[in-house]
Amino acid sequence: MIKLFYILKKEFLLIVRDIHAVTILFVMPAVFILIMTLAMQDLFELHSNVVIDILAVNHDTGKLSVAFLKAMEEHNTFRFHLIDKNTVTESVKEQMLSRDYKFALIIKKNFSTFVNKKGKEKHENPLELLVNPTVPVQTQLVLKSTLDGELSKLRWDAFIGRIDKLLAFAGIDKKDLKADKLSPIDVQYVYKGGHYSKMPSAVQQSVPAWLVFSMFFIVIPISNTFISERNQGTFMRLRSMNVSSTYLILGKMIPYLLINAVQVIFMIAIGVYVVPLCGGTALTIGDSLGGLILIASAVSFSAISVALLIASIARTTEQATTIGAVMNIIFGALGGLMVPKFVMPEFMQNLANLSPMSWGLEGFLDIFLRNGGVSDVLPKSMSLLTLGLVMLGLTLILLRRQREV
Amino acid sequence: MIKIEHLFKSYDKKPVLKDVTLSVQHGSIMGLLGPNGAGKTTLISILIGVIRKNSGSITVNGMDLDHEIGAIQSRCSYVPQTLAFYPRLTARENLEYFGALRDLKGKKLKESMEFCIDIGSMQDFLNKRVDKFSGGMKRRLNMAIGLLNDPEILYLDEPTLGVDAQSRNYILQTIKKINCERKMTIIYTSHYMDEIEQVSDDIAIIDEGKIILHGAKQDILTRADALCGHRSLEELFLKLTSVRLRDED
Repeated sequence: MIKLFYILKKEFLLIVRDIHAVTILFVMPAVFILIMTLAMQDLFELHSNVVIDILAVNHDTGKLSVAFLKAMEEHNTFRFHLIDKNTVTESVKEQMLSRDYKFALIIKKNFSTFVNKKGKEKHENPLELLVNPTVPVQTQLVLKSTLDGELSKLRWDAFIGRIDKLLAFAGIDKKDLKADKLSPIDVQYVYKGGHYSKMPSAVQQSVPAWLVFSMFFIVIPISNTFISERNQGTFMRLRSMNVSSTYLILGKMIPYLLINAVQVIFMIAIGVYVVPLCGGTALTIGDSLGGLILIASAVSFSAISVALLIASIARTTEQATTIGAVMNIIFGALGGLMVPKFVMPEFMQNLANLSPMSWGLEGFLDIFLRNGGVSDVLPKSMSLLTLGLVMLGLTLILLRRQREV
Repeated sequence: MIKIEHLFKSYDKKPVLKDVTLSVQHGSIMGLLGPNGAGKTTLISILIGVIRKNSGSITVNGMDLDHEIGAIQSRCSYVPQTLAFYPRLTARENLEYFGALRDLKGKKLKESMEFCIDIGSMQDFLNKRVDKFSGGMKRRLNMAIGLLNDPEILYLDEPTLGVDAQSRNYILQTIKKINCERKMTIIYTSHYMDEIEQVSDDIAIIDEGKIILHGAKQDILTRADALCGHRSLEELFLKLTSVRLRDED
């Protein structure tokens, strides 16, 4: 026990006195959480504050085009900036580019006529949408669908207006047939365990993502101390003291498991207490403490095992930190830590499943977002623990082979 | 007593130690000399149980290295030529850590630490971070850590490398003192011939994996006189190992 105490004390002192390690393990992910949460807040929020500014020119002289724009603006997502009605298309394009608009809407002269058209008479399309090609396809579709929807509503109301005498004769109140102003669709988020209380938010995505990322960055301090011990002869000295490789590995594993645990508490605290101070939504951590401990321990065990293997293979700290950092960034990007998995195309989502970081992230999301419990994170935890055991086994084999050289 | 018989060791089929036979008397200081790449470090690494030999036998105080490695390691100590401790810890924290790994605790740990602090003359900088130490202070700490378990056998690998004359003299005096007071067997490697002459009872010269000369210091100096015309260990060493540079060995 006393041996373990001094081993833990030594590793903690080495970490605390290594400003670079503290920065990488605690400061970097905390800053990432704050930046990414605030940057992606609107992307995740249900009641989004995002407003799409649209340059508009209205060539129509009727009232219907004005009603149309008003209806569009009532969605609180689109804001139209009307310019002189005599502006020609080429000039609209120029203004759109120079004033950095992503969209421009041209309402043509025949808009009102088109809304009131009878039968299948041929008309020029009443709307022309100019789009900056950098705009994501999803955003383009949202705007186009809303324009289509509002135009259809207008046409329906115009049709109801034209047959009002017929409706009166049939005893139907035309108001009952008018298009609904409010959306008839209810949106519900579905959570495990039947709870419907939490909304996905930027902080729910950012905290687990950067937490997993920072936990895997344990490779930097582990390889620094491990390789320094080897190159400075400390490792040889320890082995000459009848300290077994297994004990040396455990001596590394236990302190870093505790350091990872401190990281988990610290990052959650950032999400719960600091993010709201900066204007974001507070992190909610679910109801399963057991599940949280299980997935955190599994991520930690696999991260430390991978770090130990890298430290055993690399000859210098530069090699280890380069391999470790590059591997973390690639697996992080692949595993949906930097770009949320749900925005990836299907083949990338499938590819993401190859990254152990993705297993960890999904486990934390099960707990934080989907109200999952131990049984939900068990498969991911088992995968991470198996990976850790394989990496640890390889490390021990390497260390024993070095002795048998 | 350390007895090495017909020891062979190779790395990737390249022989490093070839039929080494050597004995070190209990309570003596044996200076081990050899050019770079001669096999000194490999020999010591085998003796301290860090790497394995290919063949041959080694007994330490009657115990077979192959079968009682744990017991041998607990009675020995190794002071590497590198500064094998943690620069971000203080001298006290380093001593506590290595002492605890030697299974020392409580009063025993405290007593051992006090002895080592005294031996290393470290009272005034005990709570200072080691990365702020001078070269001589670091060397003394390196040696003090090796004395924590009060070893029966001490392996010192170039313990005065890169220190000033005062620290060097202090380390050499300390080695002689602990050998005399505690009857500690010491195997001492160095490139400084004068050091070997100053502290050793016996001298062994190793070159290209073979012991080419081994005997009592006085006998060897007499032999140097006969071969070189005066009692110079350095001239004898160069005569036996040749003046060829060993940079690429």
